[in-house]
Amino acid sequence: MIELQNIFPEIFLTLSLLFLLVAGVFLKNSFSLIKKITIILLLICIPLVYVNYDNQILIFNNNYSINNFSNLLKIIILISSAFSLIFTGQYLKRLKIEKFEYMILILCSTLGMFVMVSTNNLIGLYLGIELQSLSLYVLSSIDRNSLKSSESGVKYFVLGALSSGLFLYGCSLIYGFTGSTNYFIINENFTVENIGLIFGLVFVIVGLAFKVSAVPFHMWTPDVYEGSPTAVTAFFALAPKVAGMGAFIQILFVAFGGAFAEWKTIIIFISVASMILGSVAAIGQTNIKRLMAYSSIGHMGYGLAGLATGSLSGISATLSYIFIYVVMNIAAFTSILFFSRDKKYCEDIRDLGGLSKNHPVVAVCFCIILFSLAGIPPLAGFFAKFYIFKSVIESEMYILAVIGLLSSVISAFYYLRIIKIMYFDTEQEKFDDISGLGMKFSLFSSSFLILFYFINPSFLVNITEIASKVFN
Amino acid sequence: MLAHALIFYLFSFVAIISSLAVISSKNTVHAVFFLILDFVSISCLFIMMGAEYLGMLTLIVYVGAVAVLFLFVVMMLNVNFKELRAGFLNYLPFGSLIGLVLLIEIGMMIGTWKYRDSFIKTSEIQINNNLTNTESIGNVLYTDYIHYFQISGLILLVAMIGAILLTFRQKENLKRQNITKQVSRERDDGVSLEDVESFKGVKLND
Repeated sequence: MIELQNIFPEIFLTLSLLFLLVAGVFLKNSFSLIKKITIILLLICIPLVYVNYDNQILIFNNNYSINNFSNLLKIIILISSAFSLIFTGQYLKRLKIEKFEYMILILCSTLGMFVMVSTNNLIGLYLGIELQSLSLYVLSSIDRNSLKSSESGVKYFVLGALSSGLFLYGCSLIYGFTGSTNYFIINENFTVENIGLIFGLVFVIVGLAFKVSAVPFHMWTPDVYEGSPTAVTAFFALAPKVAGMGAFIQILFVAFGGAFAEWKTIIIFISVASMILGSVAAIGQTNIKRLMAYSSIGHMGYGLAGLATGSLSGISATLSYIFIYVVMNIAAFTSILFFSRDKKYCEDIRDLGGLSKNHPVVAVCFCIILFSLAGIPPLAGFFAKFYIFKSVIESEMYILAVIGLLSSVISAFYYLRIIKIMYFDTEQEKFDDISGLGMKFSLFSSSFLILFYFINPSFLVNITEIASKVFN
Repeated sequence: MLAHALIFYLFSFVAIISSLAVISSKNTVHAVFFLILDFVSISCLFIMMGAEYLGMLTLIVYVGAVAVLFLFVVMMLNVNFKELRAGFLNYLPFGSLIGLVLLIEIGMMIGTWKYRDSFIKTSEIQINNNLTNTESIGNVLYTDYIHYFQISGLILLVAMIGAILLTFRQKENLKRQNITKQVSRERDDGVSLEDVESFKGVKLND
């Protein structure tokens, strides 16, 4: 019974989602009420995780770990889930998809991500991935009357099922050759000479790379991001990426820690390919959601570059990168949800012309966000990239650092192009007035964090360093 | 022992005959029924071998869900099977090649049967003979693996929510039965007495 208090956040989430499901069925027109309750419950869950923050516990027969690392990721996941509801504002109502199941599915997905970052077992990882992505498949096709939304749901579902199949095939090979699905026992019995194990390792990495949309398993990302409703796209870009990276770190460093030389080259390839494709392919995009998709592919490439070093400083750099990535994406998607004319949301970047005249404050915020995404000092995005390159150079992987820097320069082009359109292009019709306290709060708080991160950067660095010591 | 052998041969015979009937019967609905018969006899064979849990699972999953689903598909989708059969001779060489490969594989499996001890070391697995299969699965499923069991339940819940969310459409102007409303209806709600004057109609308000 001593175990249960350690998974209290998970139990809390489960019970609250079951309760809200029943409440939503019986109360008519309860969308906004349940949305508010869900946001509050997600925020309450943060202190619940924080209470046990420094515990280092293995429960359920060493199959579930509660430690600094998983707790940090859980808090980031909770923040991103809560904000992805806070900044939706009137969006779902205007699209007439105000269904209370939206929140239930987000809670289910959050729970799945908790399992993904905490589990120490391949079965648990698979179940977590399925719980997370099954909710995402439904969310992406939630706008049933839109052809694009349904298409993106089907596309995501089919490709997700394929990647789950590959992942399970890898798991079965690993189980067959090591005799266990537990990460620690896999690590003990892992022999580099065994080709079957290396095969299994590759397939598991492929399955996870699909979840974080790293090249060459990124094909679904632009289409799904473009087709899904923008609020759902924002959720896709935030929490699942955090959980995917967390699961990546756990499995690479706990289960395959002894096979570093084997997976290093794979991760370097995935990382370089993602960075290059994320910066080059985004140049031709005119849809802002597709552009954000390529941008997130590129950002995942930088995150993986930290893992490729295989060092503790690399893990801590990746964790810092993920956190700053989440903050920047919260800000970016809030701004995208602001751009509407006559209650129709603009997705073409050419429609942003004259934004600076209409809404100078939002334009300034969006400008800061784009500069930060491009990695221009002294904004938060610069520090994120700085930590990654520092750890990469410390491990003497100069080519990786050079490629990362070059693709960061290329990607600056398309971020700056949006700023040029906002400030120098001819004004079009007027944008709608800005309303919604949640959206304003989300935009201003995240832009504030991005702008003034340089005042106390050691705060985040300390937290991530402590979290990365788990893998010592 | 003789009874055991007799029953075994009975079920095996039924299983083989019905599986042959699945692929040879002209009517697809009959083929699905033979498939169900095949599954039932195989599950009986499982139970005879002492694998009662596997037998019941075969019954529930294959007969209860899969075969019935097949039946629905066959009956609801009007597939023209005559057209499907048309190219039989064209596919014959390729089909028989695959059949040959399968036959060789079965032959190889039987041929290596005498080496089975070097592959599977059953002596190392500790089995408590006092417990049934269901009990021993339950012993680990509800203790060591309870969290996986719970997460699986949540995954099924999400699947259910998703299926309802994506397919259920609330129709407007639909008359639904409301039992409380029906039962609590009083005489005054439905019946009204009107004085009708001679040679004049009566106007009723609905």
